[in-house]
Amino acid sequence: MTRRAVIAGIGHTDFGRLPDRSAFDLEVEASKRAIEDAGLGRQDVDGLITDPGPAQGILDGITPHYLALGQYLGIDPAYTGSDILGGASSAAIIQRAVLAVEAGLCSVCLCVYGDSALSTPGSFGYGRGDDAAFGLFGAVGIHALAAQRHMHLWGTRPEQLAEVAIAARQHAARTPHAQKREPLTLAQYMAAEYVVEPLRRPDCCLMSDGAAAVVVTTADRAADLRQAPIEILGHGQANRLSTWSSPEHFDTLPAARCGPETFARAGMSPDDIDLAMLYDCFTIVVLMQLEDYGFCKKGEAGSFVEGGRIGPLGSLPVNTSGGLLAEGYGGGMLHVIEAVRQLRGTAGARQIDNAETALVSGHGLGMNTHSTLILGK
Amino acid sequence: MPPNDQIAYPLPHPTDFTKPFWDACQDQHLVVFACAGCEHLFLPGGSVCPKCWSTDLSVREVSGFGEVFSFVIYRRTYHPAIPAPYVVALIELKEGPRLISTVIGCAPEKVSIGMAVQIQFEAEDGFMLPRFTPQDSAPTHKV
Repeated sequence: MTRRAVIAGIGHTDFGRLPDRSAFDLEVEASKRAIEDAGLGRQDVDGLITDPGPAQGILDGITPHYLALGQYLGIDPAYTGSDILGGASSAAIIQRAVLAVEAGLCSVCLCVYGDSALSTPGSFGYGRGDDAAFGLFGAVGIHALAAQRHMHLWGTRPEQLAEVAIAARQHAARTPHAQKREPLTLAQYMAAEYVVEPLRRPDCCLMSDGAAAVVVTTADRAADLRQAPIEILGHGQANRLSTWSSPEHFDTLPAARCGPETFARAGMSPDDIDLAMLYDCFTIVVLMQLEDYGFCKKGEAGSFVEGGRIGPLGSLPVNTSGGLLAEGYGGGMLHVIEAVRQLRGTAGARQIDNAETALVSGHGLGMNTHSTLILGK
Repeated sequence: MPPNDQIAYPLPHPTDFTKPFWDACQDQHLVVFACAGCEHLFLPGGSVCPKCWSTDLSVREVSGFGEVFSFVIYRRTYHPAIPAPYVVALIELKEGPRLISTVIGCAPEKVSIGMAVQIQFEAEDGFMLPRFTPQDSAPTHKV
């Protein structure tokens, strides 16, 4: 009988400014919470895969992230590793856990993201190799280049980027643990300072200290556990490492490959998705994903999001806990956790009625990496 | 924080792969890498052609003309040696390859996608960087 992987546990810490806590302290807490949520114990964990977050990577040049965390957790997993795909890492490590569990390499795989990006000097404002000589710093510059292209090619307006930022705050207002819960008006958005024009401050994600973890196990094992299992209906990954030399770079994301391929493997289409957790490091990336996943036609995402379509009462709620723009920077793992909560029906004041399927995406580096999960109950 | 003129400019760090490009810049020549196997022209440099993996590569000087594929205006200073506002642009060379650079010689607000530009080398801490100016305002390019 084939082994089928499911999500059986979720856990996260507070998100925000937590200056007294190291990233590992936070990751240990998130790991314990996820294992407890599943109704499992430390002795059950035989897989550990980590997303080290922007500030960590290889810690001292020698010790990889999974080794340090595994040491703190005191576990000797059969299967381990860290994936460094930037913002695509969280969904990618869930994917890797699914593959490992279904292949029989491990049975209870803990997937952990954590960082103390607010309190520890990190890599958010880094220069990109030799491109720093021309002033290209931070992920914001790359994404502003994409936003300028979108505006040029498709006539996308700042008011349409604002719709994404405003919807994120509306979702966050219903999320008790969200970092930025106060509403954002269009007038406030338009008056906000540019960081890298055409992107303003509210177009950019938050920075956070925090950690989040997910437990992947077999459907058979999950049948006796504490939580109703969440099914993984499809998963995918696509990357464009050739960067500038690809003619499509800046005009589409690798999601344009990853999305259709994942839908095809799941035997589903965008019409089958009830809510979407789209990686939202910058508002423009939400618009590009809505197009590249086929929720609307290429170039039409600006008009698609108008009128609150991706807000709490819209026909396609996006990032129902506020996402990176308002909930907190959870690397992408908080997107997975929110999808699980919605599908379990435990999302509280922000619960979307009849949520049966959710798409979760990860997007990373200079728009080079992409990962997709389709979850169901 | 020391005044701006005492902070080192974030200069490139040439590698084995990129050294021919930066060396040419120091002599005010803009070059790309050319594959003898498939005629592909590319940046940045490498040890194989990224299209066909041929190792039969050479360096070829290009016209220095191109257009703005996309651009942004930094309104916040990230590095004290590069004070905002300034433009970062992805330039598509007439010969095809794209590179990150900046557009100088006009107000940032005058830059647009599709704008015709040409090379203008400028030194930072004695290191020549390939920047671009609007084509109609630039001095004649030294070939």
